Amino acid sequence: MKNNVIFFLGLVSALAISWAGIVLGSNAQLGALAPFYDDSEGAAFPQRLPGVAAQGQLVYRDLGCAACHTQQVRRPGFGVDKERGWGDRQSVARDYIYQPAPQLGLSRIGPDLANLADRKPTALDASDLYHLLYAGAPGMPTYRFLFETRTLGVGAQASEKALKLVGALEPKAGTEVVPTPQAESLVAYLLSLKNPYTYPEAVPFTPTAAEGENGGAK
Amino acid sequence: MTMKSEYSPTDKASRWPILFLLISGAVWLVLAGIFGLIASVQLHSPDFMAVCPIFTYGRTVAIAETAFVYGWLANAGLALALWVLMRLSGEPLRAQNWALGGTAFWNLSILGAVIGLSLGDLSGFELLQLPSYLQLILFFSYAAIAIPGLLAWSGRLRRVSFASHWYAAAALFLFPWLLSIAHVMLFSAPVRGVLQPIVAGWYAQSVWTLVLAPLALSIAYFVVPKVTGKVLPSYEFASLGFWCLIFVGGLTGGRHLVGGPVPAWISSLAVVSCALLFFHTFVVLLNLRGAFTAPGVAVKFIAFGIAAYVLGAVFDTVTSFHSVAVQTQFTYFDEAQKQLALYGAATSILFGGAYFAVPRITGKAWLSPLLVRSHLVLSLLGIMLLVVSLASAGAAQSHDLLDASVPFATITAHTRDSLLGVTAAQFLLLLGNICFLANFYGTACEILNISQPATFSPSSAMETPAS
Repeated sequence: MKNNVIFFLGLVSALAISWAGIVLGSNAQLGALAPFYDDSEGAAFPQRLPGVAAQGQLVYRDLGCAACHTQQVRRPGFGVDKERGWGDRQSVARDYIYQPAPQLGLSRIGPDLANLADRKPTALDASDLYHLLYAGAPGMPTYRFLFETRTLGVGAQASEKALKLVGALEPKAGTEVVPTPQAESLVAYLLSLKNPYTYPEAVPFTPTAAEGENGGAK
Repeated sequence: MTMKSEYSPTDKASRWPILFLLISGAVWLVLAGIFGLIASVQLHSPDFMAVCPIFTYGRTVAIAETAFVYGWLANAGLALALWVLMRLSGEPLRAQNWALGGTAFWNLSILGAVIGLSLGDLSGFELLQLPSYLQLILFFSYAAIAIPGLLAWSGRLRRVSFASHWYAAAALFLFPWLLSIAHVMLFSAPVRGVLQPIVAGWYAQSVWTLVLAPLALSIAYFVVPKVTGKVLPSYEFASLGFWCLIFVGGLTGGRHLVGGPVPAWISSLAVVSCALLFFHTFVVLLNLRGAFTAPGVAVKFIAFGIAAYVLGAVFDTVTSFHSVAVQTQFTYFDEAQKQLALYGAATSILFGGAYFAVPRITGKAWLSPLLVRSHLVLSLLGIMLLVVSLASAGAAQSHDLLDASVPFATITAHTRDSLLGVTAAQFLLLLGNICFLANFYGTACEILNISQPATFSPSSAMETPAS
C-alpha cells in the first residue's frame, strides 16, 4: 500500500460500513418503535416506569448489578428461561423503549430479573427483597451499605420500614435496621420489573415436531 | 537477555514519550491485577469486602476492566505503536510534546475514571465503563498521542508501507472515531431501548478488532521478522488479511446478542463475520509462524499470544452459532473468551514487544534476567490457568443453567472449585506483573544515571552494546 489517502479512505469506509450496517440499520428498524395500544384494555404498553423506579434503575446500574444478572428472557425452546419461571414469553425490543438505561446484562451468575415482580406462583415482595439485599444469598453478596442501623430512643416506636430480622441478623436491642432512600428506589425498581403484556411479536414460538426432537436431545 | 547493538540515535531522541506510556501502562496493569484479584475472590466468597460500596462486585469488575483495557492495553499498545512507526520512519518522532501531554491527560482521565467508577458512575456497557464526563478528555488525549505516530507514518522514508504500519495507523486513527460515535449515541444523545446494547456491542467488538488487536499485531509483525531474520512467509497475503480484519471486524458486533430482544439479523451477521475473520486469523498465523520456533523471551511471549489469538478466533466463531450460544451464553465461558483475547493474545504480544523494545529504547539490557524469566513463567502459567478455570466454571454453570430444576445455590457450589482456580491465576498474574513493573522501572531508571554525577557526555553503556 503506497497511497496514504486511499489507505485512510479505506479505514473510514470500513468503519462507516459497520456503523451504518449495525447501528443505523437497527436504528431504522427499531428507532421509531411505538408503544402498543390495546383497545380491549384501553391502555398502551409498555408503561413508563414510576419516577422512583426510574431512579432505582440508576442505582441498579451504579452498583453494577448487571455484572451478574441479565434482564432478557430468551424464547421458549432456546434455553430454559421459561421453565425456570423467568417469563412465559421472550423479551422483545418493545419492552425496553421507555427505559432510560436498559440493563440487558451479559452474565447469569445470578437469575434473570426481567420479570422479577411477575414470577409465578409467588413473586418476591418488598420485604423479601430488602431481606435479600441485607442478608445476601449463596453466591450473592450482602448490601449492608444500603441500610442504616439506627438507635431507637427510649420508648420510641420502631419505624414501619424497619427490617424484620431474626436469628443472627437480629439487630441489638434498642436498634433497628432501615433501608436508605437508595435501597428504597432500588427495590421500587425491582418491583417494577414485569412484562405482563404479550405483544403480537412476542407470542411464544412453538417448535415444530422436528425441532422439538432436537431440543429434547440436549 | 542479550542484545545486539541496535540502539540508535533515533531511539534515544524519541524515548521519553514511549517510556512514559509504557511505565503508565505497567502501573495500571498492576492496579488492574489487584482489582481483578479482589473481583475473583468475590466470585467464590461473595461477602469479601462487601461492606464497602467501593468494592461491591459490579464496581470492582468495572474498575479492573477499565484499568486493564484503557490503562494497560491502550498505554502499552500506543507506546509500542509509536516506537514501531518511529523505527519504520527512520527518524526521531516529531511532535513529541503532543504525545507527552496526551499521555499525561490520558492517565489522569483513567485515574478519574477509576475514582468515578468506585463512587458508582458506571455506564453499564462492557468495555465502555468510562464515566461519560471523561470521554471527551480521553478522545482528545488519544488523538494527541496519535499525532506523532501519524506524522511518522506519513513522513516515512520509503513509499511502500509494511504490515506493522497498517495495523498501527489503523488503531491510532480509528479509536477516536469509535469513542466519539459511542459517546454521542450512548451518552450525549442516547438512542432508545435495546439500541443502546446494540451500539455498546458494536463499540466493544470494534475496540477489540479495530484498536486492541491491531495494536498488538503491529508490534508482532515488527518483532517476528527481526528475530527470525527472515522475510515473513506468505507476506503477499498480509494486506488482504489486514483489510479483512478492518472491514469485517466491526460487523461481529452482535456476537453477544444471540437470542436477545434485538433483530435476529444482527447475530446472524455476527456469525458470518466471525467465520469470515478466519481468513484474517489464518493469514496472521501463516505470516508469523516463524515465532513458534525462534529463540528468546520476547518472541516466546509473542508466539504464545499468536496461539491465543488463533484459539480465541476459533472459540468466538463456534460460540456465535445459535446451537452453541444457547449453552455458553451468559456463563463464565464468555469471560474465558474475553480473557483469552485481552490477556492471552493482546497482553502477551505487548509483553513480548516490550521485552524487545525496551533495551533498544533505553540502550540498557533488562536489569534482572531472573525477573524476566519469572515474569514469563508466571504469565504463561497464570493465563492458561485463568482461561482453563473460567472455561471449566463455565462448563459446570452451563450444564446447570440448562436444567431448570437446579437452583442457583447449587450452581454456586458447583463452580466454586473452578473459581478458586481463577483466584490462583489472578494471583500468579499479579506477581508476574509486579516483576515486570519492578524490572522495567529499574531498567528505565538506569538511563537517568542517578548514582553518577550529572555530565553532558553520554554514558559508556550507550556507546557500547549492552550485554
